[in-house]
Amino acid sequence: MELAWFLFILPLASAIAIHFVLKKRPCLSGAVGTVVTLAALVVAFFIRGAQSELGFNWISLGNFEVNIGFVIDKLSSNMMLIVTGIGSLVHIFSLAYMKEDKAKARYFGNLSLFMFSMTGIVLSSNLVMTFIFWELVGLSSYLLIGHWYEKHSAGDAAKKAFLTNRIGDFGFMIGILMLWSITGTVNFSELAANPPAATCALSIAVFMIFLGAMGKSAQAPLHVWLPDAMEGPTPVSALIHAATMVAAGVYMMARVFLVIGTDVISTLGSVEAIAWIGGITSLLAALMATQQNDIKKILAYSTLSQLGYMVMAVGLVNPDAGMFHLYTHAWFKALLFLGSGAIIYACHHDQNIWNMGGLLKRMPITSLTFIFGTLALTAVPFTAGFYSKESILHAAKDQGSYLLWVALGVAALTTFYMFRLIFVAILGKAKHKHSEDAKEVSMLMLAPLVILVIVSALSPFFSDFVPLPELKEIDFHVVPHFGDKLVLFSIGAFVLGFIPALLLYAGKTKDPLNIPLFRNKFYIDEIFGHIIKWGQDILAAVVHFLDEFVINGLLVGGVTRSAQGLGNLFRSKIQTGNIQTYAFMFGIGIAITIYITVFA
Amino acid sequence: MYASLNEYLIISGLLFCIGFAGVILRKNIIVIFMCLELMLAAASLTLVAFTRFKPFQQEGATTTLPDYDGQMLVFFIITVAAAEVAVGLAIIVALYRSRQTIHTDDLDALKG
Amino acid sequence: MILLLVTIPLLAAFAILFGAPSRLTAILSALMTLVLAIVAAIAFGSAESASAFAEGQWEFKQLAIQASNFSINLHFGLTGISTIMMLLTAIVTLAAVLSGKAPEGHKNLWYSASLFIAAGAMGAFISKDLFFFYAFHELALIPTFLMIGMLGRGDRKHIAWKATIYLAAGSIVLLAGLVWLASIAGTYEISQLKSGVAAYYASNNSASACVLCGITGMLIFGYGTLVSLFPFHSWAAPAYASAPAPVAMLHAGVLKKFGLYGLIITAVNVIPHAVLEKWVLLLVVLLLCNIIWVGLVTINQKRIDLMLGNSSVMHMGYIFLAIAAVMAFPENDIAIPAAVLLMFAHGISIAMSFSLTDVIERNAETLEFNQLGGIAKTAPKLCFLFGLVGMASIGLPGLANFAGEVMVFFSGFNGWDSSKPFGPVQWGTVIALWGVVISAVYMLRAIKNTFHGELIESAREMKDISLMEQIPALLLGGVLLVVGVYPNILLQFLN
Repeated sequence: MELAWFLFILPLASAIAIHFVLKKRPCLSGAVGTVVTLAALVVAFFIRGAQSELGFNWISLGNFEVNIGFVIDKLSSNMMLIVTGIGSLVHIFSLAYMKEDKAKARYFGNLSLFMFSMTGIVLSSNLVMTFIFWELVGLSSYLLIGHWYEKHSAGDAAKKAFLTNRIGDFGFMIGILMLWSITGTVNFSELAANPPAATCALSIAVFMIFLGAMGKSAQAPLHVWLPDAMEGPTPVSALIHAATMVAAGVYMMARVFLVIGTDVISTLGSVEAIAWIGGITSLLAALMATQQNDIKKILAYSTLSQLGYMVMAVGLVNPDAGMFHLYTHAWFKALLFLGSGAIIYACHHDQNIWNMGGLLKRMPITSLTFIFGTLALTAVPFTAGFYSKESILHAAKDQGSYLLWVALGVAALTTFYMFRLIFVAILGKAKHKHSEDAKEVSMLMLAPLVILVIVSALSPFFSDFVPLPELKEIDFHVVPHFGDKLVLFSIGAFVLGFIPALLLYAGKTKDPLNIPLFRNKFYIDEIFGHIIKWGQDILAAVVHFLDEFVINGLLVGGVTRSAQGLGNLFRSKIQTGNIQTYAFMFGIGIAITIYITVFA
Repeated sequence: MYASLNEYLIISGLLFCIGFAGVILRKNIIVIFMCLELMLAAASLTLVAFTRFKPFQQEGATTTLPDYDGQMLVFFIITVAAAEVAVGLAIIVALYRSRQTIHTDDLDALKG
Repeated sequence: MILLLVTIPLLAAFAILFGAPSRLTAILSALMTLVLAIVAAIAFGSAESASAFAEGQWEFKQLAIQASNFSINLHFGLTGISTIMMLLTAIVTLAAVLSGKAPEGHKNLWYSASLFIAAGAMGAFISKDLFFFYAFHELALIPTFLMIGMLGRGDRKHIAWKATIYLAAGSIVLLAGLVWLASIAGTYEISQLKSGVAAYYASNNSASACVLCGITGMLIFGYGTLVSLFPFHSWAAPAYASAPAPVAMLHAGVLKKFGLYGLIITAVNVIPHAVLEKWVLLLVVLLLCNIIWVGLVTINQKRIDLMLGNSSVMHMGYIFLAIAAVMAFPENDIAIPAAVLLMFAHGISIAMSFSLTDVIERNAETLEFNQLGGIAKTAPKLCFLFGLVGMASIGLPGLANFAGEVMVFFSGFNGWDSSKPFGPVQWGTVIALWGVVISAVYMLRAIKNTFHGELIESAREMKDISLMEQIPALLLGGVLLVVGVYPNILLQFLN
């Protein structure tokens, strides 16, 4: 048996054990989940290198086969490191963060379930298997967002996440079916061996597959679930809704582009649409982030915005750049989310940044790690985010696309909203009792933060660990070249974002800006609410009415009633019960009979 | 001057129709009963008339007596009718005792 | 041996009527049937060839009626499809007799009716003769009617009559179609229908195509009414909502599949493709109405039982989709296995839903969404099991329904030439995929309204599901998991 199977078996066994055996032993289940994830991390280190295994036939019928197997190449094995690495840190962080939670066992069981499903996506050897685990991460995400299901908002957010993803999966499945019809296989290895020709059908199929990524990676207009998903526990937000699961869309697109071949893909019309959807998402999300007050919401919108970047890079047929950004982003965004988790924990679960402030003094280590994460996210030179963002800007520039300007605008906005967050929540004076009481969190929470700082600082330089689909090396000597005009532009974008943030927000206790359009997220949720209300609920009510009254009432009821009416007619007019009527009928009958027998 | 078969039959038909109309239209069961008797009488009259005007059998017959089959039947009818009247009136009396009416409009228990 | 599959439940049902201990007899006989069914399935799966298998104890043939030009035999035997349906029947029967709570004074009726339904369904599925195939199904309908009419919920008389009239009308159309089919094929033996029909079709091409077209129509609408094909669906949801738990489980889970099973073995497998093709477009439109129209109706339901009843009507659309796929593209070797797998999966999952709904009703004393809420707190096990089956019914991977649905979708695209635009079946598949979103909407709403949110006042004292009530749910849930994780366990019978 290959070592890689342990990546599946370990978390699955842990999930089953916790859910069915250890439900009453919360501390033990936390320990089991954490140890298992660490073990998976170790396994992930050892399986690097190219191999693949068929696994077992999941469905086989004549020439139609679906296998459960795995593919290990540079792309998947390094993605696996991200998943298990961040997974381990999040588990450790959760041990402290969820200490007082009553349903700790359920939490860790679902985390293990997530680790299992995510492993499936990463190592998947074919599109159907990807889809299977795609749905399963959706389930674990649903369960974890709805962890505090007694809160109506959590239940609603979980449901919204699942349903929005289902809409994406609707397209994903159509895409898989079309690709299967075109090529006759869903296996990555067979697809790579016989890449399809660039046709219109292929173009549609690729876009349909992208719809799946749009749901999971929360691209506009299916992005609405991700900010709401912040109802879940913060470590979950770090693991699932920032670093790994939401990046699965980008990963899957990179995988598909890789097997079909970027030369075929780049001739398809639909990829440009993909790039623009990414660009628009990143711009919209950055604008929305500038006016949010909930620390997790700000980070959620920033995740959206960065995912938009990655999708844009993929759409520009440069999956290398997208995957590189995915990789660096995973570490520093996990750092930011876990940092925000520590802050929220210290502030008694108050998430409003206008109730924070002065945290640098009270929780210095957390604050410093948070600031480090911010620097990486805003692409300060020589931080991780700088390199990956540069590579995306290069991708846009190489294509001569207007998306370059969108990307630069987003970079400026990112700096603006992240430093707004720093100035309001970390620096300045404490604005509320909650932040005055804040104390530095325990070692168990700090350790993952510090480790993440180190990993994310070093991440771009271990190019061996960077999950690049095309097995290219990033040339780090070219990118931070200050003679390069692009670098000047991106530094300019940083300054353009930083200065307004400094001027507007340093030392403020109230938000000086009020842009309702951004604050209310372009009213997209309201619009969707109305669409769902009118397009679905009202339609459902109308259809139900029609079903009840037209089909059941008029058609079926009509048949019944006409039968009944006819019966009643006979009953009242002919079968009167009066003996004389019967006699009269009898007489007529006799007369007719006689007429027929005698005269006819 | 003798009446021909047609006259008998016309009278019998008229009697039958009067009886039938009475059965259908009258509401009192006793009257209906009397009309029923009228219809029986019409039938009897027809039988008698037919017998009377049936030509005697000529060939292959040893006797030349007229055929009295129809008239025999009329005796039977009269006898049976007498019995029927007895039973019928008894039913009507029983009906009246239980329902306090012999008006047909009130007797619609057969209604489905 | 194979005769026992039918006689055990029948004899047990009679024994209960004559005073045997009802629950014990029912459970024992269902258990015996299940064991026997599993043995039969293993024997069938390991037999080297169909003829070698038939020579064993798994074939029973006895002349029933002999006339000058045809004969009707009491002929039981297994084919790949009927093996799977047999397993479904046996599993659901055991779960059904374990589910629900028989009202005092009606225990005999309760258990014997369940066993009669089971025997009828089993007989219909393993019959290899058209006459008994039909007759056994009718046998199962009578106890269904009695149970709904006497022990149902709500307006039970009206609902029982409605369902019965619908089913009887469908059956009459079906009977006419089947008799017509048998008369032109010259045989009542199902396995010989195909050659008979083919000979008839070849002999007289123009008129015979017309006749066969008419027969196909009668079969589609006859079977369709039994399977609640749109627009003959409005009997189903109220009947399931009203029926006592075992009857709802057996009817929705097993008996309803008779129509689909019959459509496959007596129409799709028998009638020439050129004739079937003419009905594809109409069938696609109707099945999409099943999925989308009834799906929307389901969203608007206010009670769990009605929602489940409607969802079961909706899911029939997917199975019809596979049937339409094979009607449009005869070399479609995925379609019939897909349909059969989904029939099995749906049967198990809907039976489990009704079993659990019954528990919810008894413990929470209501099934109205607006009177439920937050009961995951007091009844976590019930929540887990209901969540499991809810996820199964909306097609979560790892559970049997997903495997079936995915194969149905693949069968829909099987035979599509990518240089041409979509045909009706492909468009049907695409639209049917939207049904997956719809079913997620109603199921997640139901789970949220019932189990999540704040605990309602009246459910504060609510009991969780008891051990005895868990057994049927665990049995069915286990089957869903096993088949979902490894669908080949069933698909091997169809290869």
